[in-house]
Amino acid sequence: MPFSARLFILFVGIVFFLVVLELVRKKRFREELSIMWLFFALSIAASSFIDLIIDPLARILNISYPPAFAFMIISIVLIISLLYFSLVISDLKSRVKELTQKIALLEFESRSQRKNKE
Amino acid sequence: MKRHLVIIPALNEERFIGSVISAISKVNGSIDILVVNDGSKDKTADIAGEMGAMVISHTYNLGYGAALQTGFRFAVIRGYEYVVTMDADGQHDPASIPELFKHLSTTGADVIIGSRFSGGIYRMGFIRRIGAWIFAGVARAYTGYRFTDPTSGFQLLNLTAFSCLANEESYPLDYPDVNIILLLHKKRFKVVEAPVHMLSNVKSNTMHSGMKPFVYVIRMLLAITMILLRKED
Repeated sequence: MPFSARLFILFVGIVFFLVVLELVRKKRFREELSIMWLFFALSIAASSFIDLIIDPLARILNISYPPAFAFMIISIVLIISLLYFSLVISDLKSRVKELTQKIALLEFESRSQRKNKE
Repeated sequence: MKRHLVIIPALNEERFIGSVISAISKVNGSIDILVVNDGSKDKTADIAGEMGAMVISHTYNLGYGAALQTGFRFAVIRGYEYVVTMDADGQHDPASIPELFKHLSTTGADVIIGSRFSGGIYRMGFIRRIGAWIFAGVARAYTGYRFTDPTSGFQLLNLTAFSCLANEESYPLDYPDVNIILLLHKKRFKVVEAPVHMLSNVKSNTMHSGMKPFVYVIRMLLAITMILLRKED
């Protein structure tokens, strides 16, 4: 990989990392969820030297086109991250359901009490 | 306070909710009616309130199952002994409610499922019919009891059964059908079926219309599999 390409990828990774940090600082992104994205940013930065690892690994695994191996790893990481966020959404959905049901029941009780007072 | 409660989950049912409530009151005046307005955008809640039903409103649409569970939770809080669940689209004939109670006392069951196939003329879509047939087979294999209409939402539950469902964490948001029969059986409740009269009709805005039957069948199969795989609490 040319040195300029390495520098560019490193730069993108560092900018991405700083953007995520800034979002957390501004409280637009929860810390616990941001960790995965900080990891992605660092991975992008580290990937500027990924060919040093991917090429020998691809040779060991008899993969004739090393970039395909890199894309496969990226795809797996993305799928795992999607699964993680689906789990987060599922958990939030359960909590929202509980809250909505409780609010509905409390609203009814409060309305009934007001009517009884009148 | 009355001992019996009818729970009607409703989503945009302003066309039918009034007649459903009125029909229930005519058949059985000594039963409370709760409409769980599941985020309707129309006048469902207003009409139900005007007709004398109690109305609990979700701030937004959660799903048929969640609306039922809200009703069960309400019934637990208020100390009802029995609840009847009915759809808001008018397909369940309230005249069959006494039949459900009769079966409950004669069979000693915890839950009575109202079956449309032995009680009257009812037409359902092709996909739903196939789904109902498959689910009936699964329910029979698991419970040993032949359910002719396991997807029926017309049910009668006693206190222990609906209390259990009120607290069931995995109670489905959308389709509490045959999966709930299996869940109840797994928790040692006695679930049996009784013939009821249902009206084929009426309505195009059903929760199982359009492409939904396909999704419904697949999701139900997944839900059944999960119930069978999960360890009992």
